[in-house]
Amino acid sequence: MGQVRDGDLGASAVLFERHHRALFNYFVHMNGNRELSEDLVQDVFVRLLKYRKSYQPDKPFPAWMYQIARNAQSDAMQKRRFEVELGETEIPSAHGIDDKLKREQEIDLLRRAMARLPLDKRELLVLSRFQNLKYEEIASILGCEVGAVKVRVYRAVRALGQIFFELSRRQMPASGGETA
Amino acid sequence: MNCEEIRNNFADYWRGTLGPAETQQIETHLASCPQCRAEAEGLKYVWGALGEMEPLEPRPALRARFYASLREMENREAERSRRFWWLRNPVFQAASAFAILLLGILIGNMTARESGQVAQLRTEVNSMKQLVTLSLLQQQNASDRLRGVTWSYRVEQSDSEVLGALLTTVNHDTNTNVRLAAVDALRNFADSPVGRHGLVQALNKQDSPLVQIAILDELVDLRVKSAVPAINTLKASAGVNPEVRQHADWALAKLQ
Repeated sequence: MGQVRDGDLGASAVLFERHHRALFNYFVHMNGNRELSEDLVQDVFVRLLKYRKSYQPDKPFPAWMYQIARNAQSDAMQKRRFEVELGETEIPSAHGIDDKLKREQEIDLLRRAMARLPLDKRELLVLSRFQNLKYEEIASILGCEVGAVKVRVYRAVRALGQIFFELSRRQMPASGGETA
Repeated sequence: MNCEEIRNNFADYWRGTLGPAETQQIETHLASCPQCRAEAEGLKYVWGALGEMEPLEPRPALRARFYASLREMENREAERSRRFWWLRNPVFQAASAFAILLLGILIGNMTARESGQVAQLRTEVNSMKQLVTLSLLQQQNASDRLRGVTWSYRVEQSDSEVLGALLTTVNHDTNTNVRLAAVDALRNFADSPVGRHGLVQALNKQDSPLVQIAILDELVDLRVKSAVPAINTLKASAGVNPEVRQHADWALAKLQ
């Protein structure tokens, strides 16, 4: 990013190749819309180039990028008041399916649980679990203490677990819950 | 660590970012605490499943869009640096510096000329105020003369003609109110030795106790030590009001 800041715009291609998938997945988890997420990835990279002079080299690049991404996401949400509906696919009955298929269903269920999680908790899980950012980086993006990130990540996992197991009970009568 | 602290470390534990001592501590706790163990098992399952979620792939069009806007931006930058090449030219930079210097000198000259005009205008306004003050102080009507005293506040302190007119008013005006107002107005000329001396001289020319007391107050306020002999004379003079004599004692005590 240092090169980009000093005027070598071509160097941003490396950054794009390295980060655009992760960024796209961040947005999909946050707003549930693939097309909008692609627009936002494009928007973030344009903003990165536009505001490249404000990049401080002592700060890790992902932290700076996700700060811009959060702003882009919040601008988009204000414009479009999004109803997040992730993975609302029909889930087949759990009877008579093999383990692999069952696991796939669970992952699908997890996507739905994620979509129902409050935005702040979802964001923490996306940053810590999918983007594998360090707590220090997350703290810098969210503007809070590292200790607070730790506690909040745990609470987010617990909230996700509650929704996930609740959905499991409803969707999979074989596992001992009520029928959907 | 208590149960809450243990649970707050779950994510770190699963990520493998804890030190050996903390890992050991958590494992020991989980072996002995069925509630924490149950929670850890359930959530570890969720945490693991999260890691198995396949990342989604954006459409190839996204890459094409990014490279298109990158090229566009590079072209714009190149165009801008072509258009403003002269900004980096040393000849242009030297010429700009010279032009700014000239402009500074020009503005400086204009300001100096303007400040000369302003000073002239101020002098004219002041002499007009002086004229109004002096003419009002000579009016027959006491209220006009009072207005004259009020106008004296608007002239500059260094105006000796107005000072002279105020002293004449203090000494000779027939109306007590006008004389009292003039005594107050003389405070405006406190820095002038003529004003201070005039005030001292005026003390023994007064017949009104009110004006005598006002002058005594002003002499004390302005710390006019040279007034001591005049105050002694006032005290010694026959027929002086007892309250004025008492006030004169107070003034002497303050000034000595």
